[in-house]
Amino acid sequence: MADIASRQRHLRTPPLLWAVIGTLAALLFAAAIAFRQPIPGDAATARMLDQVVLWQSLIPRAAVALLAGGALGLSGALLQRVLRNPIADPSTLGIASGAQLALTISVIYASVLGDLPRELVALVGGLAAVFIVLALGWKRGLEPVTVALSGMTLSLVAAALSSALVLSHGEYVMSLFVWGAGSLHQQSWDGAITLSWRLVLGIAASAILLRPLTVLALDDASAKSLGMAVNGARVLVIGVAVWLAASVTAEVGVIGFIGLAAPAFARLGGVRSPREMLIVAPCLGALLLWFTDGLVQLTAMGGSDLIPTGAAAGLLGGPLLIWLLPRLSVAERPGAQGPVARRLARPGRGFLLLTLLLATAGLMALFIGRSFDGWTLVTGQMFEDIFPFRGPRVAAAIAAGALLGASGTLMQRMTGNPLAGPEVLGVSAGAGVGFAVVLLFTLTPSLALMMTACAIGSLVALVIILTFSAASGFGPERMLLGGVALGATGLAILAAVLAPGDGRAIRLLGWMSGSTDRVTGFEGLIALGAAVILIGPVLLLGRWLDILPLGAPMVRGLGLPVSRTRMIVATVAALMTAVATYFVGPLSLVGLIGPHLARLAGFSRGSYQMIAAACISATLMVLADWLGRMVAFPYQIPVGLFAALVGGPYLVWLLRRGPAKGA
Amino acid sequence: MTLSRRRLMAGLAASALLPAASISNARAATPELRVATLDWALLETLLALGVTPVAGAELVLYRQVVVEPEVPASVADLGLRGTPNYEALRLLEPDLIFGSNYTSWSDPILRKIAPVENFSIYGRGAKPYANSEQAALTLGARLGRSAAAQALVADARARLEAFKARLAGHDGRPVLVINLGDARHFRVFGPDSMFGEVLERIGLANAWTGTTRYAAAAPLGLETLAQMPDAIIVVIGPMPPATRRMMAESAFWHALPNVRAGRVAVLAPIDPFGALPAGLRFARLLAEAAPFAGRATARG
Repeated sequence: MADIASRQRHLRTPPLLWAVIGTLAALLFAAAIAFRQPIPGDAATARMLDQVVLWQSLIPRAAVALLAGGALGLSGALLQRVLRNPIADPSTLGIASGAQLALTISVIYASVLGDLPRELVALVGGLAAVFIVLALGWKRGLEPVTVALSGMTLSLVAAALSSALVLSHGEYVMSLFVWGAGSLHQQSWDGAITLSWRLVLGIAASAILLRPLTVLALDDASAKSLGMAVNGARVLVIGVAVWLAASVTAEVGVIGFIGLAAPAFARLGGVRSPREMLIVAPCLGALLLWFTDGLVQLTAMGGSDLIPTGAAAGLLGGPLLIWLLPRLSVAERPGAQGPVARRLARPGRGFLLLTLLLATAGLMALFIGRSFDGWTLVTGQMFEDIFPFRGPRVAAAIAAGALLGASGTLMQRMTGNPLAGPEVLGVSAGAGVGFAVVLLFTLTPSLALMMTACAIGSLVALVIILTFSAASGFGPERMLLGGVALGATGLAILAAVLAPGDGRAIRLLGWMSGSTDRVTGFEGLIALGAAVILIGPVLLLGRWLDILPLGAPMVRGLGLPVSRTRMIVATVAALMTAVATYFVGPLSLVGLIGPHLARLAGFSRGSYQMIAAACISATLMVLADWLGRMVAFPYQIPVGLFAALVGGPYLVWLLRRGPAKGA
Repeated sequence: MTLSRRRLMAGLAASALLPAASISNARAATPELRVATLDWALLETLLALGVTPVAGAELVLYRQVVVEPEVPASVADLGLRGTPNYEALRLLEPDLIFGSNYTSWSDPILRKIAPVENFSIYGRGAKPYANSEQAALTLGARLGRSAAAQALVADARARLEAFKARLAGHDGRPVLVINLGDARHFRVFGPDSMFGEVLERIGLANAWTGTTRYAAAAPLGLETLAQMPDAIIVVIGPMPPATRRMMAESAFWHALPNVRAGRVAVLAPIDPFGALPAGLRFARLLAEAAPFAGRATARG
């Protein structure tokens, strides 16, 4: 079992640290009260309004911060205990993003769905997310890294889906931004009262489940021998944790990483027993969020928070995860990619088939389409007219798909983890941050500037990851978790930029939901060129790809320098992701799916798998792009969105299949 | 598919290169330039000038939010403003495309379809009303409708003057123009917004003097309304369902002096980033609203 701080140098100062955080939070609160803006107008009215603001806004806001923090702290503690996973929390399990996506859908389709209760909607979304994440991790025994990986991937996809929905529905945008980023503004006690009930019930439920919780910390066999209905207790505890987190999301939006930080700090302070943890974690969560909100209010200008509190808390998440990682004992294990079901006797035929499929998809995307008069097969002059628009986007889709498939193969081979998609390196989030930074300076950047910004963002993310993993000899688990952490920080930064809901936000949303439609002919050629340049040489490294999944000792034994090999592979994978992300946004799951399908088809050797994955992913991307243009003509569904909608459920199904195949 | 193909062949034979016979007929009938636009402000200006463009963007939402001038059914919908369907636009063969500083990123692609002319109405510290007048005049000159454009501009001014005269007896309270985002947040329109400039032109003071980003400030907590107890609160639609509930139930909302005294107006949807028609629509709906029309009760 991975436990933080068990092998740690004895840092026993934290209770003092808690006191400091608590005092600072109280001081910030006092400052917010003392320096609240005076109200103009005649004295009597001003006094009345001042009291209203004090009692209906400022004080409820502090109460909500404390209660939401407490609920998240408790939720995190429960999840960590029941999953025996020190990095589980509502953010890393995708619960918050799932709840937010469900809320977005309920607001946008309110006319169809009716006025559903927000809390119920959030709960359904959160439960769906946790179900998917646990289903993905089940085959690997809910091992912490895998669970966090699938959770963060799901978070990314859910965030991108939300943004695509927002984008397709212009006018209610503002409220969705605010919820998404977790704003704590209050004008009544309603939120505080709702949350306090949830917290009280949550604590009561946890107290009742205390004995099962203690037992659940043991492994399943011991728990069973003590006569526990292990799975029943697990489901109950997870249900309580999701309900707490979903209530917070329904009330104030997504608030990142408090549920991760609170139990971690508690453990650091020497808290061991479940009973202590269930008391200390909510208290610390409450203090942390209160403190964060105090900082946010301190920097607010004229009633407008510089960044929403939820995003501010999210910004703490990445560094916190990175700091936690070295304290997390992760056993490096050989690759879990078990034997393939069958191995292709003649891969040449397989490649021929894949190439044919790709060519068919490409030709169909080029020649068949819809116009205002219905379906058309374009030929002759009309084809010449249309080609400048279709050609580049088909080229970009092929190139991006191939790059993501290749990058996914590299990542999965290097880490031996079947859930390591290109997204998880944090590289795509880095590209997004680069894009956002450019938008801070100019609303209308040129294409070259945007591309450069994406590339720089990706490279910075990559350098951070590599520097960080170098300390651990490029251990794959560490590298993945570092990528997840960086991705989380990137998402928080993006949420903060999106929050004002101005023109920049719209541009950023467009990129996040992934779209190939603005690709010029020149860019399409660049994309294809990049695909050839980046994928070609890697084929020469087939031996590395065959050896890497065997684990470090084996790699060393076969005479490869482990660190350097991993570093080179990671760099190539990141470059591939950076180029692809620029065209199709950060969420396409095809980089995760392609390699799986390739293995399933029997392409087991490293270089074979990579070519097959590149072909398959390119085909998927072209199809997703084409369908996205066709289904709602003349409205277009962004390619990344479509790929995720189709790919997501398939991936879950794939990974749940027989043990020899998916994992 | 066969039908389309046959039509296509017919189109080719006529060397019109168009998939639809209807479109080529329309083209033969009107010798004018076939124009298209991705920007709502320009779309409403074109319609106000009596020009029917061949294509506009996101018309489903336009009909809900912009409302007037009405878009004729003959205008093709190009899809979302953020991801317009270039192929569809190409098939419509416009002669000229009008864009704004918000669509200029797609210029390289649009130029492959037709020449692009861009207008800049909104921006930090911009004067959207004055810019809209200029845009109308430029569009009029470009499309041979100078007289219509001059009439539009003059008529708009005259109507604003009329509203100004009508509101002259008003008590001089400043006006706060807001959008409600959800039950807890709103955004406010500053002096560099269309609403702000129209207020100025009809002789009303804008209660918001703080900073804005691109015409509207970032979302504010609803409690900020307590800072402006004197203002008349003007809420621009559309309103999300949660905000209607808030207005009905919130103790804070009902504690506000503005709300107590009925100094609140809820207006029908108006495009906050529109041009002259949107500005006029705002002025008209505002002047008809309870706090200004002199009726005793206001909607809360």
